[in-house]
Amino acid sequence: MEIREKWDSRTAFIMASVGAAIGLGNVWRFPYVAYDNGGGAFLIPFFIALLTAGIPLMILEFSLGRKYQAGAPTAFAAVKKKTEWVGWLALFAVMMIFLYYPTIMAWCVNYIVHSLTLKWGADPNHFFVNEFLRKSIGPSVLGSIRWPIVIGLGIVWTAIYLILRKGVKVVGKVVKWTVAIPWAILIIMVIRGITLPGAGEGLNFYLKPDFSALLDAKVWLAAYGQVFFTLSLAMGTMIVYSSYLPKKSDVNNNAFIISLANSGTSFFAGFAVFSTLGYLAQTMNVSVPEVTNSGIGLAFITYPTAIRLLPFAGAVFGVLFFIMLLTLGIDSAFSQVEPFVAGFTDKWNLSKKWVLRIVCLGGFIIGLIFTTEGGFHWFDILDHFTCSWGLTIVGLLECIVIGYIYKTDKMRKYVNSISEFRIGKWWDFTIKILTPLILGISLILEIYSMVTDGYGGYPAWATTIGIIVVAILIVMSFVMMKIKARKENK
Amino acid sequence: MSASAIIMLIFGVIIYVGGISLCLSIAKKHNKEKQNTCE
Repeated sequence: MEIREKWDSRTAFIMASVGAAIGLGNVWRFPYVAYDNGGGAFLIPFFIALLTAGIPLMILEFSLGRKYQAGAPTAFAAVKKKTEWVGWLALFAVMMIFLYYPTIMAWCVNYIVHSLTLKWGADPNHFFVNEFLRKSIGPSVLGSIRWPIVIGLGIVWTAIYLILRKGVKVVGKVVKWTVAIPWAILIIMVIRGITLPGAGEGLNFYLKPDFSALLDAKVWLAAYGQVFFTLSLAMGTMIVYSSYLPKKSDVNNNAFIISLANSGTSFFAGFAVFSTLGYLAQTMNVSVPEVTNSGIGLAFITYPTAIRLLPFAGAVFGVLFFIMLLTLGIDSAFSQVEPFVAGFTDKWNLSKKWVLRIVCLGGFIIGLIFTTEGGFHWFDILDHFTCSWGLTIVGLLECIVIGYIYKTDKMRKYVNSISEFRIGKWWDFTIKILTPLILGISLILEIYSMVTDGYGGYPAWATTIGIIVVAILIVMSFVMMKIKARKENK
Repeated sequence: MSASAIIMLIFGVIIYVGGISLCLSIAKKHNKEKQNTCE
């Protein structure tokens, strides 16, 4: 029986968890969601959501991993055997994510090279869609494989394998770089952004508060949704990372530090994004909302447009921007693979090296689907159903298992006994009532929207496949629960 | 930038920088206490 690995230091654990939480969404999603939901006023519901849902759920996951010293399935099985499938569902949901997420990293690898010559030219939209992706007309046309993306994907999966194969001690060392580098570049991007003409106008759109938005339920749902997805919760990552903590390690304070560092980074990233958008709007002689974008559009179309229009050193800022995205994403990517591997090694005492090899090779091979001309559509569909449905279901189930089966007061007493400060009964309320209520409402709204409007204009058969995938993940979770663990299992 | 935008900027900085500083000072204090107990 192998002795469970441990983090080198508390800093290594915090940095790894911060690295897992901070991802592309901090740069390309938060600023837009804030702008779209009351500007600066959005900080109020966002902070309340952080305190009442994000941090409580993170404390829940840390306490589970810390208490049972195991990955998600084994930890849930220890709570009650029949809830083991919740842990497997978290792992299968994260598996879906790590199948397509490295593809974005592969795009970034390519764009680092393209930045050197600003290859996207005067029309980054045409370059990205028609020349780089060669996006097909729909999900039914997969087309041929895009070899530059395959090369990028190979580099990313090799990096993930090399980082994870030597265990969490190496992860602890790597994250010091993969967290520090994007922070350093973000500071450079903010300084560059706010010194550009028009930056003030852009920042006005980001921060000018519209307090009437606080009366809109949609704004509050957006805040809770953003908090839930930005902290990498319900993926099993935080459970497995805390399982590598030494005994008597703090939980509560770590959860606050990690959550605040992650959200602070989102807030700070907004300055880089909106100052640049302000400059872009002024240069193109249009209003800021006309150039405002989020997600892939912001990173691969809007930002490259602005980079090309910079007064000097556009290529340098292009390279820096995509290195920032790559390093932001890579620690999230390997934090998705780690809990999946740990789930199998914990239950069946398998060799971690072999499981990791199979997962990385399998991830690369299956990921080839997303490097095809039609891959973008499947990436979009699976991303929507895995995140909006899969992760929300897992978060909801986690609250129910700990809130009503294990009992929150028992977990609270445990977590208070090892933490640097105590949490009160408010935590019980957030886990038993508030968080499941918000997640339940979000899920019902998602399902309603799917039934009435479909998703993204895709044909019904394609979105049905998305739903079937979620259903298969649930069935697979039950199957995994039924397969017996090896007796020498820890 | 408008005055209200600057106020929200200050609000954000206080929340995040202040929050993290507070948590780190608690961790530091706790470490010190632990060291004293060991000695």
